[in-house]
Amino acid sequence: MRHTKYLHRGNLIRITYALIIGLLMLSLFTLISSKSPELLIQGTWREKEWNIEKGNDTATTNVIASGLREEILKDLELLHYGIWDFNDNRLTTYDMKQAGTSVEWLIKGRGHILELRREGKRIETFLIQQIDENTLELHLNFDLQVKGIMKIVLERVTQTEKYAKKI
Amino acid sequence: MLRKYSNHRTNSDNIKLGSLTAFSAGMVNVISVIVFFSFTSNVTGYYAILAQEISKSNWYQVAVVLFWILLFFSGGVISNLIIIHGKGKWGGYISHAIPVFLEFVSILFVGVYLQFFYKDTLQETEFLVGALLFAMGLQNSLTASISNFAVKTTHLTGLTTDLGILVSMFTKKSNRQNRNLVDRFNLLLSILISYVFGGIVSGVFYNHFQNHTFYLVCFILLVIAFYDYYKFSKVKKIYEKRHHDLLL
Repeated sequence: MRHTKYLHRGNLIRITYALIIGLLMLSLFTLISSKSPELLIQGTWREKEWNIEKGNDTATTNVIASGLREEILKDLELLHYGIWDFNDNRLTTYDMKQAGTSVEWLIKGRGHILELRREGKRIETFLIQQIDENTLELHLNFDLQVKGIMKIVLERVTQTEKYAKKI
Repeated sequence: MLRKYSNHRTNSDNIKLGSLTAFSAGMVNVISVIVFFSFTSNVTGYYAILAQEISKSNWYQVAVVLFWILLFFSGGVISNLIIIHGKGKWGGYISHAIPVFLEFVSILFVGVYLQFFYKDTLQETEFLVGALLFAMGLQNSLTASISNFAVKTTHLTGLTTDLGILVSMFTKKSNRQNRNLVDRFNLLLSILISYVFGGIVSGVFYNHFQNHTFYLVCFILLVIAFYDYYKFSKVKKIYEKRHHDLLL
């Protein structure tokens, strides 16, 4: 009886070890092979919504005035035009064309932080709340006039749309 | 500091070990938040994040967080494996110093990689954060194991709870005069202060020296690893000198 019990325990331990190693391998494989937020973000995105969620009253959501929006993002001229362009060389298209200086975009953390840098210096960080093939939702903590979180929802501009606009 | 095991350790041994390792853990945690936007000395929050990402079906993030948790876990497993199996082969001191040395290698790897090879890609970030979590797993397991679970230095949740309990116990005079409770309080407080101080030093040091901060952590780990060796050599020299003087 004792021997049988011992065998059971031995098997359980083996199963546990196998499970842990299996999970480690599975997570490693997923990490290497799946499409990361760094790849998903590449392309052109059009702004769909700009909302402000106030810290003192989370239920209140206001559509943000364009003047306030520009004041909040005064260092980020590239975001004033409604189109966010993330190139595969990790630079934004806007800057190269108009500003002369380049803004670099980086994804940090577990793929939940979007960092923007100009000449190596961090100018803004956004929290990536959601990212998939069609939608990108960013949150920005700010402390200007009102404490709160700015919610920015973007939708992907498809190649067909780009081509149609060009024509 | 490293040589003694379990109940053979004095409170002074635990305070030295706890303070220095907590200082290094605080440093690692703050610098990893600055560089990678991720905590690396504690995993409690990652369990919550794991559940949250599963509920949102963000499978890439699930894999990343699971990978990090398992690396912290692996650090704990490897550290204790070396301690329990190495004691008979290499003696207590060496088998306790090996996990510190492995931690040193992991942190040095991150420092060197950041300085010479880092291209700021997400995949690199995830592996480097993993290396730091592995190092912290090694450290936490080592300190807990050799101190009979008296010292845990990479996170402060349990420690803050224990301190709260002790502070409430000290409202009774009999407890204030209890040597064991006072020793425990001193140990926990020194770990707490060292952890916070390590974080501050790391933040200030990073402003001036950037990624070189990791080398400072490596230096502290070398101090931990070689402290007993230095002390032993010093005692040996004094003994030899006395012996020599006696013969003359």
